[in-house]
Amino acid sequence: MRDELLKSFVDMDEQEAVRIARELIETDGGAAAVLDTCKEAMEEVGRLFEAGEYFLSELIAAGDMFNQIMEFTLPKLQGGEVASIGTMVLGTVLGDVHNIGKDIFKVMAEASGINVIDIGIDLPHEKFVEAIKEHKPELVGMSCLITLGVDSMKRTIEVIREAGLRDDIKIIIGGGRVSQAVMEHVGADAWADDAARGVRLSKELLGKE
Amino acid sequence: MPSPEMLKLAEERAARYRAAIELKEPDRVPFTGMGGDVVAAYAGISSYEYCFDPEKSLQAIIKYLKDFPSDRPIGGMSGIGNAITQLAFLDYPDLTGLFAMVDGPTNDILGVDYIRFPGREVDEYSSPQFIGAEYMKADEYDELIADPVKFLFEKIVPRTTRNLRDLGSPAALATMARFGMHKARSGAFMQKQAAELLKLGYKSEPASFFLAPLDFISDNLRDTVNLVKDLRRYPDKVKAAAEALLEPMLKLALLGKNIGADMAFIPLHLNEYLSPKLYNEFYWPTLKEGILRMLQEGMKSQVFFEGWHDAHMESVLELPAGWGVGYFEKTDVRKAKKILKGHTCIMGGIDVGMVIASTPAKLDEYIKELLGEMMPGGGFILSPNIGNLPRETPIENIAAVYEAVEKYGKY
Repeated sequence: MRDELLKSFVDMDEQEAVRIARELIETDGGAAAVLDTCKEAMEEVGRLFEAGEYFLSELIAAGDMFNQIMEFTLPKLQGGEVASIGTMVLGTVLGDVHNIGKDIFKVMAEASGINVIDIGIDLPHEKFVEAIKEHKPELVGMSCLITLGVDSMKRTIEVIREAGLRDDIKIIIGGGRVSQAVMEHVGADAWADDAARGVRLSKELLGKE
Repeated sequence: MPSPEMLKLAEERAARYRAAIELKEPDRVPFTGMGGDVVAAYAGISSYEYCFDPEKSLQAIIKYLKDFPSDRPIGGMSGIGNAITQLAFLDYPDLTGLFAMVDGPTNDILGVDYIRFPGREVDEYSSPQFIGAEYMKADEYDELIADPVKFLFEKIVPRTTRNLRDLGSPAALATMARFGMHKARSGAFMQKQAAELLKLGYKSEPASFFLAPLDFISDNLRDTVNLVKDLRRYPDKVKAAAEALLEPMLKLALLGKNIGADMAFIPLHLNEYLSPKLYNEFYWPTLKEGILRMLQEGMKSQVFFEGWHDAHMESVLELPAGWGVGYFEKTDVRKAKKILKGHTCIMGGIDVGMVIASTPAKLDEYIKELLGEMMPGGGFILSPNIGNLPRETPIENIAAVYEAVEKYGKY
């Protein structure tokens, strides 16, 4: 049944994937199997995206399927069965109210085992500092869609540095308008203009691949 | 009154632009200029002032254009399109144009839910922004399909426009009266602005506006995430809705002919989201039909291919040669030229991220190489890949680009 779940998930057959997952969680150890299979499926969807076979609409549909299945799977899991490979504070920077890129990335990052603390949109720089102090993450993800986000990310990173927290974390920036040059300009550690790349690089920053 | 020299300059600039659209080599590569939030910053005003104070906004534009002249007047980015209300008032062609662009004061009057303005909903140094939401439920597709204009007016305008929530109420009537008074004032100001810009050698070029029907459904009605799910859950309804919106959208775009527009701007959004299979089935048919029908009516198109358009490049060749301008964001214009040379005028080439983060020397070198590849054969308009340079863009980097265009842009 795991193989069928994997196949229907990766093939974007939503109804079938949800049906199999519902059946599978009722079996012994089934919930853990559903979680593992869905994570594997999300990884495969990300790989297909980076290979140019899948597009943003598939990432969105896969994220939605993942959330739907997790809603009835996670309550069935024991605490120890949901392992985290690290924590990330994630938000859209000051001045930018967009959330779509952040949200697509978030579900893929969670599926890869990252514990994501989503602190919202249009965030004053200090909100990042507060969240870093509170959650002590290994990673900070900053998202922006519009071009003003570049300066906003730069200033946010400066404020994190002034708070003495920059050396404790790795920072990845994401969004439609970021690039290598922008990453160097703002002083981040990695950049991604799509969620699949973002998750792959986040895992690298965590030393997990 | 503009001097004869400036009138001549305005003609030269317009001719340069026109030649590129006609796939010819002009005297120099046409350059749109690079505007946006930086125009306000350069004049020392906030983005809030730029959006809400027309006189300050005009003075900022004049100051910037004097120091950074280009072939198009950069209008800044002081408003957000409002296709919902335009389509809702489609049967009143003398009014639809008034709804086209929501500026700061208009938004204070209407209260549009999906627009954020600096100094209002976001920081006074931020940019005006569009942020869609789910204004139509999935079970309302049939109503949209049956009569799009009626549905938009009766259901969507009240949901998206706070001060028109209760259509027919004194509050809504007062809103429309205030809207009319504001538009009379801003219309007079637009004429003044056009006259001022002509003194600097820029003709105002009326433009029309068309949205891919599926983009309209996604951005304005269902929200992108829902629309993407709808494609799999209710494919026939999505297709029928796109087809139902085509005629109203075309009628709206062609109204531009009344003000002398011969070019429709079409900003794409979902193109990057869709696989070729979904693109060709749901998105491209009504977009293509729209471009072809406008062309039959003498109106070319300028399509902004947002994000990566690489997967769909071949479909552009289904349009007749000389159909218009392909404006590319992330797709490499050199790659676009290889596929579309002699068929499509290509626009873009300057990555805004690079203008923000690079150095004058590197930008000079970059523009030199880019123009060396893109200019031969004509049909190229140099432009930033996104129309908005942020406030902190280094001025020396902007200057380096303008100087490089003069140095390397002559044919």
